[in-house]
Amino acid sequence: MKKQRGKLTDIAFLSITASTAFSIIAISLGIFIILFKESLLAINKFGFIGFIFSTEWDPVKEIFGAAPALIGTLITSFFALLLAVPIAIGIAIFITEIAPSFLKGIIGTAIELLAAIPSIIYGMWGLFTLAPIMSQNIEPFLQSTVGKLPLLGKLFEGTPLGVDLFTASVILSIMIIPFTASIARESFNLTPSVLKESAYAIGATKWEVVKDVVLPYSKLGVLGGVGLSLGRALGETMAVAFVLGNLNQIPSSLFDAAATVTVKLANEFTEADKDIYLSSLYYLALLLFIMSFTILALAKVFLLKAERK
Amino acid sequence: MILKKRKITSSIALFVCFLTALWGIFWLSFIIIDVLRHGITAITPSLFFNDPAPPGEEGGGLRNAFIGHLLITIFATLIGVPIGVLGGTFLAEYGRKYNISKVISTLADIMVSVPAIIIGAFIYAIIVKPLGHFSGWAGSIALGIIMIPTVLRTTENMLSLIPWTLREAAFALGAPYYKVIIQVVYRGAATGILTGIILAIARVTGEAAPLLFTAFNNNYFSLDMSQPIASLTVTIFQYAMGPYEEWHAQAWGAALMITVFILFATITGRLLIKRRYKD
Amino acid sequence: MTPEIEVKNLNFYYTGGVHILKNINMIVYKNQVTALIGPSGCGKTTLLRCFNRMHDLYAGNKYDGEIIFQGQNILSKETDLIALRSKIGMVFQKPTPFPMTIFENIAYGLKLRGIKNKGELKSRVEKALKDAVLWEEVKDKINTNAFGLSGGQQQRLCIARALAVEPEIILFDEPTSALDPISTGKIEELIISLKGRITIIIVTHNMQQAARISDWTGFMMLGELIEYDKTDKIFTVPSNKLTEDYITGRFG
Repeated sequence: MKKQRGKLTDIAFLSITASTAFSIIAISLGIFIILFKESLLAINKFGFIGFIFSTEWDPVKEIFGAAPALIGTLITSFFALLLAVPIAIGIAIFITEIAPSFLKGIIGTAIELLAAIPSIIYGMWGLFTLAPIMSQNIEPFLQSTVGKLPLLGKLFEGTPLGVDLFTASVILSIMIIPFTASIARESFNLTPSVLKESAYAIGATKWEVVKDVVLPYSKLGVLGGVGLSLGRALGETMAVAFVLGNLNQIPSSLFDAAATVTVKLANEFTEADKDIYLSSLYYLALLLFIMSFTILALAKVFLLKAERK
Repeated sequence: MILKKRKITSSIALFVCFLTALWGIFWLSFIIIDVLRHGITAITPSLFFNDPAPPGEEGGGLRNAFIGHLLITIFATLIGVPIGVLGGTFLAEYGRKYNISKVISTLADIMVSVPAIIIGAFIYAIIVKPLGHFSGWAGSIALGIIMIPTVLRTTENMLSLIPWTLREAAFALGAPYYKVIIQVVYRGAATGILTGIILAIARVTGEAAPLLFTAFNNNYFSLDMSQPIASLTVTIFQYAMGPYEEWHAQAWGAALMITVFILFATITGRLLIKRRYKD
Repeated sequence: MTPEIEVKNLNFYYTGGVHILKNINMIVYKNQVTALIGPSGCGKTTLLRCFNRMHDLYAGNKYDGEIIFQGQNILSKETDLIALRSKIGMVFQKPTPFPMTIFENIAYGLKLRGIKNKGELKSRVEKALKDAVLWEEVKDKINTNAFGLSGGQQQRLCIARALAVEPEIILFDEPTSALDPISTGKIEELIISLKGRITIIIVTHNMQQAARISDWTGFMMLGELIEYDKTDKIFTVPSNKLTEDYITGRFG
């Protein structure tokens, strides 16, 4: 009789834990379905191609297009990656291969703390501290140097206001450094030490071992880390919301104000007074969800492959 | 000659790596010092004990936002932690031999990084819109959902670290599985799970995006979770973007409190795990 | 017989002062095969890794004494480890091909030494592969990833990689312990064929292997070099009781 009760409780516990675990599937699917349902109105009105290529965003005329927001999202994420990835890899190399053991812990923790600082703090600091420095010092300096180059100089045209794509990308890059760095570290650590030893054994220098053995061996993992960071960058909201200006235009220079999908959502969601307005915002959210989910899933596949090797 | 060149290249490259580490530390110190510098002057008793005053009036505070934030976070924890811990238990124990568990793990890993603002939009559609108004509950649920995957994955990992022989020893005494889990496995993994919970709380404490259109904001003191309620993060956003000097100062004060709390929680979590699992 | 390496009163300590090698003295002769045998944990691999200062990759190790090679004490602080390791190659327990093609694996060490000429690289890679008796098997897939080779082939590739840079000495750390008997046989033949051209020091678990391929054998136990002599003498009339017990299989 007593044994029977134990068995029943066990089944009850099993069912509870199982249903909570399956809630992850329910939530993910739920998000997708709800976002889709809410955007139906806009999907029917603007279509897919019509929505993503249209640059107009006019709540009065009730015409909505995603191009500026999508482009803003892609540009900020791309430049953030461009700045963050080499630095994050450098940090990972420093921590795994160079730093003496007492420094490993300290620097490792410091970099991880960069990830712990909330994005609203990044945003506020960016608006009040970084943006003025950008507009008064760094951006004019860039204009007088790289801005003079042909072609590349185009990216640095315009009045340096500090509230622009460039500042947003710099902040984003600082925020994603820890993600890339921590995954790169893990991947570097997966390199068998005997493989490194055999490179040292034919007389390679430390840098040659890193460049020719450690990096090629862990490239899948590093790629996964880059993907994860990209997924993060695409969806980052508050940090960007402070310093990008939410201007619905296709930017022509890095010193232009712009909008991203997230910034639009954060600023306009509670103002959307018409169904089609709200539905268009949901459409943006759906596109963002699909983009970041796909990239994160790809990154995960790379990481799983890297682990299995 | 070639050897010398190679060695110099190596030293330069390694030095550049050192500089990248400095770069990271530079920004960390820059941000923390800046928040401290601006925030410390705003830390006054009135910040904690007074409610917002109309712009231009002296002595306004953020009592409503502190309390609101606390309420939202507590309820979010009450929602996210049990679901996360139990779900992680299933993956590491009952479900460990099924492929679906691996799928759920992977999905949870992805959900950890899904944009928080998406969760806010999701909750807006399923709770705020049907009810017709913003509410503290909606905010708590949004943050709770954000906590679930993090807590679930840490729990799963921490339980998997408990050696199987320990479970077998408990089975051998005739204990049913649930007792083995609750009395043996949880006990062994308690520190690790606790760390996961602390880190998850630290993360959601700093979230603003998912609260924007769930809990919204409230300029008045309120304990009613079924109504819009103030939070520190949304208030920071509103105040920092606003035109008044006092607002900016209070936003810095709130930013400092949040940063200190989160860094403290994160470091505590890390130390806990380091002491338990020396790596 | 010319001495190649002279080990004088070598002591070695791990982190925390654990005494691993105790007062080792031996002479390794040029272009001969010297085997190091002994029970697990006796210090034979540790000794081998002193010859190319592999221990320096990890913190907290300490050498004491001298290892004289080409008139220099390689344990001294001034030793250029990169130059040293390009003269003393090493082959490990498990095959360690780099994540590159077969060709690049072997050309790697040559490129490090500044050889850029395509024709020279090609001919030296081919020569190394022939010396390692691998050429016939891989000549048609030289530009494919090295991970595609079998374990035995990978190990011969690693030997070819070590040979390509024409070192004075090659250290072998149980090179056949992860291989099947046929691959083991091929590696043993290869080592014998290198005799007279290159100095070889090999650590092995397998006493028969030491007897088959080496000219000199050192028997180690608990960090001490118990006996060091010509191989046929060690295996027929060892002078130390411990050596005799070990080779007759009474322990170990």
